[in-house]
Amino acid sequence: MVAVSFNSVWKDYGDGAIAVKDLNMEINDGEFVSLLGPSGCGKSTSLRMLAGLEHISSGEIVFGDQTVNDLPPKDRDIAMVFENYALYPHKSIFDNIANPLKQAKVAKHEIERRVNEAAKLLEIDHLLNRRPQELSGGQKQRTAIGRAIVRQPQVFLFDEPIAHLDAKLRARMRSELKHLQYELGVTTIYVTHDQLEALTMADRIAVMNDGVLQQFGTPQEIYENPVNSWVATFVGEPQMSLMEMELTGLNGDTALAFGADMISLDKISAVRLNAAGKKDLLVGVRPDKASVSLQETPGSIQGEVYSRQLLGADVLVEVEIGGSRVRAKADTAFAGNVGAICYLTFASQDLYFFDAEDGKVIPQ
Amino acid sequence: MTISTKSDGHPALSDQDWGFATISRVPANLNPKPSRMFYVYLAAPAVLLLAAITIYPFFWLIYMSFHKVGFGAASDIFVGVKNFSRLFNDTKYIEGWGLLLKYSAICLFIQIVVGVTLAVVLNNSRYEKVLVTLFLMPMMVSPVVAGLLFYYLYNGTFGWYHWIFQSLGFLDQTSILGSTNTALFGIILVDVWQWTPLITLITLAGLKRVPQDQLEANMVDGAGSVSNFFHVSLPNIYPFLLIAILLRFMDNFRFIDGILALTGGGPGNSTRLLPVYLFDVSFQFFKLGRGAAIALTLLVVTIILGMILVKVLEDPARKKALAGDSDV
Amino acid sequence: MASREIISYDKGVLVKALKWGSPIFLAFYLIWSLLPLFIMLMASMKDLLDAFAVPKPGDWAGVAIFFDFSPTFTHYVALFTENNFGTYLFNSLVASIGSAMIAVTLGSMCAYSLSRSEFRGKKDLLFWIISTRMAPIVAVIVPLYAIFRSVDLVGTLPGLILAFTTFNLPFAIWMLKGFFDGVPYAIEEAAQVDGQNRFQAFLTILPLVAPGIGAFVILCILFAWNDFLFATIIGSGGAKTLPAATKELVQPQNIDWGKIMAAGVVTTAPMIPLGLLVRRYLVAGLTMGAVKE
Repeated sequence: MVAVSFNSVWKDYGDGAIAVKDLNMEINDGEFVSLLGPSGCGKSTSLRMLAGLEHISSGEIVFGDQTVNDLPPKDRDIAMVFENYALYPHKSIFDNIANPLKQAKVAKHEIERRVNEAAKLLEIDHLLNRRPQELSGGQKQRTAIGRAIVRQPQVFLFDEPIAHLDAKLRARMRSELKHLQYELGVTTIYVTHDQLEALTMADRIAVMNDGVLQQFGTPQEIYENPVNSWVATFVGEPQMSLMEMELTGLNGDTALAFGADMISLDKISAVRLNAAGKKDLLVGVRPDKASVSLQETPGSIQGEVYSRQLLGADVLVEVEIGGSRVRAKADTAFAGNVGAICYLTFASQDLYFFDAEDGKVIPQ
Repeated sequence: MTISTKSDGHPALSDQDWGFATISRVPANLNPKPSRMFYVYLAAPAVLLLAAITIYPFFWLIYMSFHKVGFGAASDIFVGVKNFSRLFNDTKYIEGWGLLLKYSAICLFIQIVVGVTLAVVLNNSRYEKVLVTLFLMPMMVSPVVAGLLFYYLYNGTFGWYHWIFQSLGFLDQTSILGSTNTALFGIILVDVWQWTPLITLITLAGLKRVPQDQLEANMVDGAGSVSNFFHVSLPNIYPFLLIAILLRFMDNFRFIDGILALTGGGPGNSTRLLPVYLFDVSFQFFKLGRGAAIALTLLVVTIILGMILVKVLEDPARKKALAGDSDV
Repeated sequence: MASREIISYDKGVLVKALKWGSPIFLAFYLIWSLLPLFIMLMASMKDLLDAFAVPKPGDWAGVAIFFDFSPTFTHYVALFTENNFGTYLFNSLVASIGSAMIAVTLGSMCAYSLSRSEFRGKKDLLFWIISTRMAPIVAVIVPLYAIFRSVDLVGTLPGLILAFTTFNLPFAIWMLKGFFDGVPYAIEEAAQVDGQNRFQAFLTILPLVAPGIGAFVILCILFAWNDFLFATIIGSGGAKTLPAATKELVQPQNIDWGKIMAAGVVTTAPMIPLGLLVRRYLVAGLTMGAVKE
């Protein structure tokens, strides 16, 4: 168990392809950190640099108090679970899990004990004599995890381990993996492109885009206080809607101009926006904070229903207003169909404000 | 209403009457099955041609093997299985098999060791593509021309390869093809020269298919590149090598062009591999009956090898490995 | 599959040895592969005296003698003027190309049928087809000779083309079936919906396997061109090809090596560009489709 840190780490592949730019991050001992972002954002590359499967172009990676830049993977005391499991097809499940112990020349009886223990924990002990080809996706994935936990390493690395499982199994594995990490207490870094996985499993999330760390914080912080509009729209399902608005003064009161409509601001937000002094804003609202109705109410904005999707317990309505589409959650009783005129309401305290120029959040 | 207790228990699958409308009359089949005859017509010319030139010879061989074939149409004497039984006492026949096996084993051993090493080195080389193209030149040469070329190179008086062997102290004045001890190695060398690139190509194809993440996982588990090669790469290229071995082995039955050009089977009988002996019996001694018997034994073994080859090719797990399916 | 190479950390002795040893190994192998061909080329241009000039054993510096000669093309000229090599070249061309064409035409139709239809015994049929390709030529050549002689095909080009077809046709069927298996049947179904009959649908998908067919034709030409046994036994007389003619230049008395080497060059030279052309399909072609590059 060890604290891991990235100190100004860069990864440059040459001819202009820079995968990771100046990554600085301190991960605490025993923490479960998720690296979250879309494909190509540099999360896998960062993980691979941690593992020693990619050379670091500049900067340092430190485990505890030791810089590990030049250490090969085997000397870093890590274990990794790969996206496609990377099981050895010609070896039995037992031998697959035992492989790291064999490489470390652990005694035979000890190998047996540890492998059986791990297999039992992961409920694959009845498969130890089979070959990987005979296993299902979920079983292969648990074998890969078994190979990782049998080592008792300092750091666990997961590279999108449940990406290829079906949705139901994924949901189950999320809780199993979280529980496992809690039991073992090992520092874990988990790469995923699925924001739900990150939100549900991680102690802290590092959101990355285009090689740059956007925000590093607890799931709650990321959800409630996104540092820019990109993070705000990336995290949260259904996605937050962004609207282009202008800050104006109306009869001495600060308000937002949204196309032809005016949205009044609460005192705190008004002070905040005035202090920042930015005129063109991107205003975000999460669907659960936006209400839509077929009746006009004071302060509501008129729009047209673009689509209506049943989510099970609620309905997701996309409303077309002045060139933007705003997503709102409604009761299943909501009767409007495509093309119907409807009215959108939200409270200004629930809004997120970003500078339209660079997407950065307007400071509180 | 009772719910039937079918194993899946699903109500819709039970034989309850759920009130569905049923059709009591089966409608006329308006869409007849597409005629298979189209495919038969399409395949017929090829199959007929092939049958004509393969089935008749096969029966001819069987007929001949039970006869002592004389010259002219009417002088074939039926001898029963004498042609076959004589083979057991025929030293050249038995030695022929021994030589064939010895030759194949040595050739394949050298080809695999050199070929795989070459593939590994090439795989890590910048000039791989160019080099591979150059290395395949020997395979383009007609085996008989290769044989003649090496016959020239081995010549005790003016052969450059002989000169190299002499200078290195391997040989005296006698050409490598001149002594019964060394002639076999002489022809082995030619086979190695021509066909090692094939093993290299096959191994390269296999190496490129080794899933990268298996190698990386092995590294994380604590292995260095040597262990990676032996424990991950080799097992993954094993099916490729198996096919290469089977194919080359079978090719040794077929191609005697080079041996005919190099030694004709001599000196003595040191290079008289079984197919070469068959050639002698049929075309030099004209003992066609005996030749047919030998040919049949050769064919039987070829067919058995062929069945093994097809089994290897068609094995689903192998097929997957050969196609490079990386998600194990 | 990532195209990145595996990271390497080893600074061990083994890796250093490999780093230095590899270029040497490759250089040696390159020389080993090309030296015989190079010597063949040189020898074909040496007159009789120069051809036999070899240094004394152990005299490594004497290797220079190899390059000390005045090149002459008399052997090449002689081949074509005295030894009829023009005819043999023609025979090789016609027999190889002819056999490849027949194999491809009949073979593609048969391969298509086998690919698209299912019937009992299909596996056995396929096995029979491929076994004809694997059969040792030595074993079947006597009966084949007998058959061909009775229909007066010995020593004729059509006879030789037919003989070559014994191995090219099964090869065609096996390989092309593999190609057709790779084309989804949906395309022919779409063509039929569009109003084509089944034969037209077949023609429609031919362009999809065209590169494979092209490479395969060249491979057939390669195999037929390089064949010796059929050419000697069935072709000799009126349809001798280059390999057979080259071997025949080796007379018991007075072997003219210059001519033989020149004949070797003439026989080999056209195959080199062909080999380069089908480089990508070479592995598949030589392993009966088992290994695809």
